[in-house]
Amino acid sequence: MFHWLEKNPFFFAVGVFLVIAFAGLVEILPNFAEASRPVAGLRPYTVLELAGKEVYKKDNCIACHSQLIRPFKSETDRYGQYSLSGEYAYDRPFLWGSKRTGPDLHRVGNYRTTDWHENHMWEPTSVVPGSIMPAYKHQFTNVADIETAYAEAVTVKNIFKTPYGDDIKAGKEAWEAYKPKVLAEAKAVAAQMKNKDVKDMVAAGKVPEVVALIAYLNSLGAKRYEAKK
Amino acid sequence: MNALMAKGLLFAAILIGATVYVVNSMHIDLSDPINLITMIGAVAIAVLTVGVSIKYINQMKTDTASGELAEENWDGIGEYKNELPGGWAYSFLGTLIWAMWYFTVGYPVNSFSQIGQWNEEVKAYNAKFEEKYKNPNQETLEDMGRSMFLVQCAPCHGNTGDGLSGKAHDFVDGRISKKQVLDVIKKGSNQLGYQMGAMPANMVTGKDAEEIAAYVAGGMKGKQPASFGVCAGCHGADGKGMNGMAANIAEYDENLITHVIKNGKHGAIGTMPAFHDRMTPVQLKALATYIQTLRGE
Amino acid sequence: MQSNAALEYDYTIAKLYTYTAILFGFVGMLIGTLIAAQLAFPDLNYLLGEYGTFSRLRPLHTNVVIYGFTVSGIFATFYYLAQRVLKVSMAESKFVMFIAKLQFFLYLVAATALVVTELMGYTQSKEYAQMEWPLDLLIVVIWVLWGIAMFALIGIRREKALYISMWYFIACFLGVAMLYLFNNMAVPTYFASGGVGSIMHSVSMYSGTNDALVQWWWGHNAVAFVFTVPIVGMIYYFLPKESGQSVYSYKLSLLSFWGLMFVYLWAGSHHLLWSTVPDWMQTMGSIFSVVLILPSWGSAINMLLTMKGEWNQLTDNPLIKFMVLASTFYMLSTLEGPIQAVKSVNAIAHFTDWIPGHVHDGVLGWVAFMIMAALFHMAPRMFKREIFSKNLIEAQFWIQTTAVVLYFTSMWIAGITQGMMWRAVDEYGNLMYSFIDTVTVLHPYYAIRALSGVLFLTGFVMFAYNMIKTMTSAKELTEEPQFRSPMA
Ligand code: HEC
Ligand code: HEC
Ligand code: HEC
Ligand code: HEM
Ligand code: HEM
Ligand SMILES: [Ca+2]
Ligand SMILES: [Ca+2]
Ligand SMILES: [Cu+2]
Repeated sequence: MFHWLEKNPFFFAVGVFLVIAFAGLVEILPNFAEASRPVAGLRPYTVLELAGKEVYKKDNCIACHSQLIRPFKSETDRYGQYSLSGEYAYDRPFLWGSKRTGPDLHRVGNYRTTDWHENHMWEPTSVVPGSIMPAYKHQFTNVADIETAYAEAVTVKNIFKTPYGDDIKAGKEAWEAYKPKVLAEAKAVAAQMKNKDVKDMVAAGKVPEVVALIAYLNSLGAKRYEAKK
Repeated sequence: MNALMAKGLLFAAILIGATVYVVNSMHIDLSDPINLITMIGAVAIAVLTVGVSIKYINQMKTDTASGELAEENWDGIGEYKNELPGGWAYSFLGTLIWAMWYFTVGYPVNSFSQIGQWNEEVKAYNAKFEEKYKNPNQETLEDMGRSMFLVQCAPCHGNTGDGLSGKAHDFVDGRISKKQVLDVIKKGSNQLGYQMGAMPANMVTGKDAEEIAAYVAGGMKGKQPASFGVCAGCHGADGKGMNGMAANIAEYDENLITHVIKNGKHGAIGTMPAFHDRMTPVQLKALATYIQTLRGE
Repeated sequence: MQSNAALEYDYTIAKLYTYTAILFGFVGMLIGTLIAAQLAFPDLNYLLGEYGTFSRLRPLHTNVVIYGFTVSGIFATFYYLAQRVLKVSMAESKFVMFIAKLQFFLYLVAATALVVTELMGYTQSKEYAQMEWPLDLLIVVIWVLWGIAMFALIGIRREKALYISMWYFIACFLGVAMLYLFNNMAVPTYFASGGVGSIMHSVSMYSGTNDALVQWWWGHNAVAFVFTVPIVGMIYYFLPKESGQSVYSYKLSLLSFWGLMFVYLWAGSHHLLWSTVPDWMQTMGSIFSVVLILPSWGSAINMLLTMKGEWNQLTDNPLIKFMVLASTFYMLSTLEGPIQAVKSVNAIAHFTDWIPGHVHDGVLGWVAFMIMAALFHMAPRMFKREIFSKNLIEAQFWIQTTAVVLYFTSMWIAGITQGMMWRAVDEYGNLMYSFIDTVTVLHPYYAIRALSGVLFLTGFVMFAYNMIKTMTSAKELTEEPQFRSPMA
């Protein structure tokens, strides 16, 4: 029977395909709908936070940092509550990572603050002697792409029904109308920072990458949830 | 055993020995089940790979190729019709049976919950901890406090608690700096959750403020400025906060630490995050005790 | 059908991919050595401004060694051996030749675009799938072209039954095609938002846990269908061919192949143990990983047994050494992986350096060794010259073997130590180590790994030099060697 297959490449290929395709269905489908549901009270990322997430992707922090707290006491003591599936419902892509050269960041917003991040991203060893994390000084002068972040918000709202407000809609004009809100959010972050370049840029209506990144890092944890009314 | 096998196993032994040595030098408890299983796994990897591959490599020395050749031949490559090696075939069958058993009988679908396991781990730990450290003595508290401080607080306050040249609060150089006191006097404060509530802004200004700040920052030693009376109304003449009505500005007591850790603090230096309820009362006390000891002379 | 006349095989395409395998191998391993050194000596992060940090370079390393070096190796060996085991020459079909040339051209375009866009920071952030959507589309085209060339060659074959190597190459083609497509599904935001923002950006079709499942369904099987399946295909051809021995057992080949096909796909969730994926799915990944040991070891054992009684070939022919050691490292990584997939072990191993250690047993000791041995074997036949220097190969072999051993032992110790330190508690039940303690303790191991990188890279440069000399100035051959490759 197998020798017959080996003489009939077409059926051989079909056989291989069936054998390998089968497992994928069993692995991915049963839980698909369940895993798409957000936990109660979870809010989508703001546009500034999305721009920060892009900085996180661009500078590829995932190379060293995970965002997945496993249910072990040693991890919940270090990083806080273990991660829940529904907390990732708005994460496209997921950013769990597969290597912890640095610590987990899934709830880093709960125990680090803007000024700490400012010091740390500028020169990690200034706050953590012995750190091997690179300094990301260029993030203090590079401009974050908030426009593309807005486009992402529009996309996930329209296609995946992510619950954004009515002011997030397609088109350049809608973006121009929305832009001041992003800048205001950036100002609030920059107000807690000391770097002169950062303050100047924000005053000039530009968002330095580090401001967006810090907004994103601060959002990881309790701030991902709607403020209780 | 031949020389090649002996060398291989020696290599495996050295690797495992080095691993155990390094791990031990970091004071790891190898009797912890997870650690133990991991070490057993490591031994299995090293020994089985070396053992089995060298067994076959040895056959290159001792055995000769034989068997019935298949009719086909590809680019000069022939194929024997030899039977499966027995050890391999039985192991394959064995793992398949084991897998089916595991999934259906041994540990059937959904009989394990990782969250349930976490709950139990934490519950067991808490019960043990509360029992053991009901009335810890000074030394225990200090020690416990140090261990927590180094893990949770040192990334901001530094290993020595000196605040890393002004990046966070400095515990070594006295209770609180002049700059911080002035800032509070100017802006008031309403974030630590004391019974008294808010401290109003700008109660004193100018030279008075300077004097008070210098006095508080100096550890409340020497002659008390007359204007300190304003403060004493809430913080007490000794600055200790009148039994928790307001912040203790003379020393780090348990009450102050509890309020700061629970609520976080935004001040002249920057922002300290709130840890909410992540620490138990004993742990808070331990941190307070330890922080007291950081204060230099 | 011309019965006995020897076929004149056409190696144009195999040669082209041989060049790119050497080039990308060098670049990828150079970056690998640099990032290894950066973890030991962080000042090396600032050699190239923002483009030179560990984090930017790491995916460049993985993508250049995978899509550049390994995939070039796969195409080179495929276009070489497929002709021979199917008994057709590419010169016989203008169509196949055209498709293959087009494929190579687009491959060069894609490789260049990959390097440029990744340095600029365009990324989907999914491991081994970082390239943004325009590149993904290009890669799909390249892959389809390969499929067309493959099945066209099979269509005009003279050898009725497919040789084992072909089974594996077919599986490689199908597996990667299916997995790559599903994992890279994304919506370009520019079009979905009415022309706002960057045209390169896209968002994944899946979110959170689902995205993770799809990603590791791919990630794990990328290992299967790029680092395992085609490499097994290679050894099934090059080891018997170089040694002149017949494959030990058809039955073992057969069971190993179908076993591997069936079991591999189920094991992907071992990358997601203790995550938010349902418990039963994790258990499944764990169990199938253990079962997977045997179909993996089956091929390795089959190859080792093929060399039964050939001890002098092992000591005397460095190419045989490479391939026998490759089988052994394949056994090491396919036992280490399953053990790391045991849930209790993974609780320690996951996120630590033990995983890159496991990875490089496979990619250095198995993939790179096998590809280099294959290219060495091909060179005298493609360029009609003997291999430039046997001594150089011998030296290269020992240097690189030392390098792999240093790599995996250092990361083994580093990873286990790190994993156990993260969990360690003091007498009060508080965490014993701050995170930075677990970083600084690794410095010596990171330094050893950097050294191992320098050694492996040195070996690769020796390989490249030997190959270039073989192509250009080694002694010419009058007729094709039947088995053992001639070397000076
Ligand atoms: C070479 C590895 C590496 C890279 C790349 C890296 N980090 Fe780190 N990171 C570390 C290490 C090691 C630590 C722990 C020491 C320290 O705090 O500096 C750390 C700590 C951190 C912390 C503090 C978390 C805590 O709990 O203390 C944050 C936040 C952080 N990194 C963010 C980032 C961001 C954002 C990026 C990308 C722009 C990044 N890191 C890139 C290695 C890295
Ligand atoms: C009306 C009562 C009141 C008076 C008067 C008062 N304080 Fe306070 N003070 C408080 C309270 C309540 C807090 C805690 C504030 C919080 O919760 O943020 C506090 C906090 C502080 C702190 C910050 C403690 C810390 O560790 O962060 C300082 C310093 C301080 N007071 C100094 C003074 C000085 C100096 C004066 C006199 C000029 C003064 N206070 C007068 C009620 C008072
Ligand atoms: C993300 C950084 C960060 C971490 C983590 C942190 N702190 Fe702080 N902490 C600060 C900063 C910044 C201040 C100074 C706020 C100010 O006065 O401007 C501060 C202030 C304090 C103060 C207040 C001193 C005073 O009199 O006002 C105490 C007490 C304190 N920290 C204790 C701790 C303890 C205990 C921990 C660990 C459990 C900890 N901190 C963790 C940043 C941090
Ligand atoms: C029986 C076969 C194998 C099994 C069961 C297996 C299992 C595993 C496991 C459990 C992990 C770690 C997941 C984690 O905790 O992060 C892993 C990672 C990895 N393995 Fe294997 N492995 C096998 C063979 C191989 C081989 C032969 C190679 C390469 C030649 C390889 C390459 C990799 C790579 C690249 C990763 C890293 C994935 C990442 O980026 O996280 N594996 N493997
Ligand atoms: C000179 C030789 C090499 C050196 C020094 C080297 C070094 C490294 C380093 C330092 C990392 C990052 C590990 C980390 O984040 O902790 C890495 C990752 C990786 N390398 Fe290499 N590498 C080399 C060759 C190769 C080759 C030849 C391949 C493939 C054929 C390869 C495939 C990979 C893969 C797949 C990863 C990702 C592993 C993971 O995510 O777990 N490497 N390498
Ligand atoms: Ca990885
Ligand atoms: Ca992609
Ligand atoms: Cu895997």
